[in-house]
Amino acid sequence: MRSAFRHILLTAGAVAVAATAAFAQSADTYPNAPIKLVLPLGAGGATDNLARVSSGPVETKFGQPIVIENRPGAGGSLASAVVAQSEPNGQTLLFANFATHAVTPTLFTNLSYDPVKDFKPVTLIASQPHFVLVNPDLGINTLAELIDYAKKNPGKLNFASAGVGSPLHLAAEYFKIKAGVDLVHVPYKSSAPALLDLIAGRVQVFFDNVSTALPHVQAGKLKALAITSSKRSPLAPEIPTVAEAGLQDFETYGWWGVAAPAKTPPAVIAKLNAAYVEALKSPEVSSKLASQGYDVIASTPEEFEAYIGKEITKWAPVIKAANLSPTN
Amino acid sequence: MAGGSICGFLEMIELLNHLVFGLAVAVSPTNVLLCLAGCFLGTLIGVLPGIGSIATISMLLPLTYGLDPVGALIMLAGIYYGAQYGGSTASILVNVPGEATSIITAIDGHQMARQGRAGVALGISAIGSFIAGTISTVFIAALAIPLTRVALEFGPADYFSLLLMGVLASALLSRGAVSKSVAMILLGMLLATVGMDLETAAPRLTLGYPQLMEQIPFAVLAMGAFGLAELGRSLETPENRDVISRQIGGLLPSLSDLKQSAAPILRGTAIGGFLGVLPGNGALLGPVASYGVEKHLAKEPQRFGKGAIEGVAGPESANNAAAQTSFIPLLTLGVPANAVMALMLGAMTMNGIVAGPQVIERSPEFFWGMIASMWIGNLMLLVINLPMIGIWVKLLKVPFRILMPSIVVFCAIGAYSMRNEPFDVALAGFFAVGGYLLIKLGFEPTPLLLGFVIGDMMEEKLRQALIMSRGSLAIFIEQPISAGLLALTLVLLSVLLLPRVRRKRDEVIVE
Repeated sequence: MRSAFRHILLTAGAVAVAATAAFAQSADTYPNAPIKLVLPLGAGGATDNLARVSSGPVETKFGQPIVIENRPGAGGSLASAVVAQSEPNGQTLLFANFATHAVTPTLFTNLSYDPVKDFKPVTLIASQPHFVLVNPDLGINTLAELIDYAKKNPGKLNFASAGVGSPLHLAAEYFKIKAGVDLVHVPYKSSAPALLDLIAGRVQVFFDNVSTALPHVQAGKLKALAITSSKRSPLAPEIPTVAEAGLQDFETYGWWGVAAPAKTPPAVIAKLNAAYVEALKSPEVSSKLASQGYDVIASTPEEFEAYIGKEITKWAPVIKAANLSPTN
Repeated sequence: MAGGSICGFLEMIELLNHLVFGLAVAVSPTNVLLCLAGCFLGTLIGVLPGIGSIATISMLLPLTYGLDPVGALIMLAGIYYGAQYGGSTASILVNVPGEATSIITAIDGHQMARQGRAGVALGISAIGSFIAGTISTVFIAALAIPLTRVALEFGPADYFSLLLMGVLASALLSRGAVSKSVAMILLGMLLATVGMDLETAAPRLTLGYPQLMEQIPFAVLAMGAFGLAELGRSLETPENRDVISRQIGGLLPSLSDLKQSAAPILRGTAIGGFLGVLPGNGALLGPVASYGVEKHLAKEPQRFGKGAIEGVAGPESANNAAAQTSFIPLLTLGVPANAVMALMLGAMTMNGIVAGPQVIERSPEFFWGMIASMWIGNLMLLVINLPMIGIWVKLLKVPFRILMPSIVVFCAIGAYSMRNEPFDVALAGFFAVGGYLLIKLGFEPTPLLLGFVIGDMMEEKLRQALIMSRGSLAIFIEQPISAGLLALTLVLLSVLLLPRVRRKRDEVIVE
C-alpha cells in the first residue's frame, strides 16, 4: 500500500519534471514550426491587413512563417473555438477582437468553449476610435447640439449600424445610454450602404471608424462632431474628443490583439509578447498603422487581460439594453 | 443651340483628353502585364467551380503590397472581370455558375453546350462582353460623376421595389410552370433567412449549428443545387452525357448568330450598365432583367431555356457592363457597391490611395488609369478567350468518368476554401441531394438561386425602409422612384397573369 503510494508519487514527480523540461525546451526552441494565426474575419479586409502588417516582423524575428487562417462567422466564435481547442504550445494563436472577447462572452451563452477562461492574452495590438458622424444638411454642428436636438425630438433621428453587435453598432447604443437620448436603430450589414444612406440623409447619425469616414468628412459630405477617444487623432486634429465636446466618460474603440490557448506555457507567451511588442514599436509598422487610423498599443499580457475584463463589464449592460438575443 | 454644341464639343475634347491620359497610364509595360496577368488568372479561377472572384482577390490582395498602387488595382480589377468571364464559361460548360451574376447564363448557355454549340455560346459571350465593356468604359468616363447621383437617390424603399420587380422577372425566366418557379423562389428566400437576425442577432433556422449563424454561402448553395445535382442527373442517363462529348459543332458564332445577338447585346449593355451603378447587388439584376426583356421581345419565346443564343448574348453583356459600372460608386464616392468592390477599397487603402469623393482630384492618374485599363482588360479577355474556346470545348471531350470526379473535387475544394470550414463541404453535399430531388420532381434550380440572392437583400431593404417610415407602408408609394418601380411591377404582373393578351399581340405582329 505504502509502496504503491510512493510509486504514484514518484511517477507524478517524474511526469512533472518531464513536463517542465518539455515546456522549458519548447520555450527555448519555440517556435520550431510555422505558427497558425486564426482570424475571426474574412481575407482581404482591414483586420486581415492589420494582422499581416503586425505579424510581418515577428515572422522575420522567429524565422518561421505566420500563416493566417481566415475562419469568419458566428461573431468570431468559429475562429475562437478552433484556437481554444488546439494544442496549447504557441503554434496556434487567435487574432482576438472586440467581437471575440468583449461581445461574445455576453451575447453567446451556449458556446463549446469559454471565451474568457480558455484564452491567455498575449498583447493588445491596436485600437481605433470612432467618429460621431451626422449628415451636414441636419444643420447640427456640435455634439452638444446633437444631444440637445435628440432630446427635444425623441425617436426622430435614425442611426445606422454596420453589423449587429459590432463596435459601430454598440458605440451608438452606448451613446444613447450615456447621453440619455432616443435614436432609432436602422441596421445595415456593412459600413458602405450605411455611409451611402447617411450621405443621402436617410439616416442622420452613424458611428464609423476614423479611417473609413475621414475622406468623406474631408470632402464635406459628412460632418464629424467628435472622436470617441481620450485624445484627438493626428489624422484629424481639428475634430474634438467627446469629452471636449461635453460628453464625459464616453469612449469607444474597436480593438485587436493576439491571444493563445489558456494552457500555453508562460515562457512562450512572454516570447510572443516580446516579439509582437518589438514589431509594433518599429517605426515602419507603427507609422503604417497610424496612417490607417490605428492607435498602436503593444500592451503586456496582463494589461490586455485587464482590458478584456473591463470591456466585458462595460459592454454587457449595453448589449442587454440594445435587446440583442443572448442565445445559441 | 450653337453655344450648346460648342459646349458639347469642348466636353468631348476634354473626355478624349482624359481617356488619352488614362490610356497613357494603363499602357505602360508593367501595367499592361499586370492587367494581362489579372485577366488570365481571373479567367482560370472563374472557370473552376466554386472559386469566385471574391475568394481570388482576397487571397491575392497581400501579394499586391509591393506593387505600385495603380498597377495593383489594375491587376485586381482584371481578376474581377476575368473571373466574371470565366464564371460564365463554367456556367456554359458544366452548369455551375461560379458567380451569382452567371446564374442566368447557365439557363440557355448550358443548353447550347448540350446541343453541341458550346463554342458558339462561349464565343458570343466573349464578343458580347467585349462590346458591353467598350461601351461602358466610355459611359463611365463620360457619366461617372452624374451617375453617382443615381446611387445616392436609391434608398431602401426604392431598392425594395426594384427587387420585387426582380423577383417577378425571375418567376418569368425559367422554363416550366410558373407555379413551380414561384415555389422555388420562395424556397430560395426561405433559405436566405437562415442566420443571425439583422437587428437582434437572434439565430434563425440554424438548427444549433454555429456555422449557419452567418448565412448559407451562395457558392455552396450554387455548387450543390446546380453543379453537383446536375452531375447526379447526368449519372443516371448515360446517353445524355455522351451527347455533350460527341458533338462539338462550330467553334465561333456564325454571321446569322451575330445578327441575332446584336440587338440583345446592345440592350443588355444598357440594362446592365444602368443597374450596375446601384449599390448592393444591382449587378445581379442586370442579367435577370436582360433575360426577361429578351424573352419578352422574342418572336418565339418558347425557344428560351432550350438554347436560345439571345439568352446568352443579352445577359452576358448585361453582366459585363454591370461589372464595369459597379466601379462608379467606388471611384466617385469611395463607397463600394458590392463585396468585390469592398475588397478593392481595401486594396486602395492598403496601397496608399485615399478612397473617397476626392479620388478624381487627388489621384487622377489612378482614376483615369483604372478606367482606361478596363477597356484594355476587355480587349485582352477577347484575345485570351477566342483562341481558348477550342481548349475549353475540348474539356467537354474529357471522358465523363474523369470529368465528373474532377468537378466533385473542385467543388469540395471551393466549398472548403471559402471559410476553411469542413461544414461547408457537407452543406454542399446536402444541397446536392436536395437539388437532385427537386430536379427529379421537375423543379428548376435557377429560381431557387435567384430567390436566395434577391430574398436576402429584400429582407434587409424592407426592414430598413419600414424602420425609417416607423412602420408605415406608405413609404413605398411616397418615394417617387419606388412608386414608379411598383407601377412597372404591376404592368409586369399583368403580362404574367394575362398570357392571352400577349399571344394576341404576337399574332398582330406576325400579321
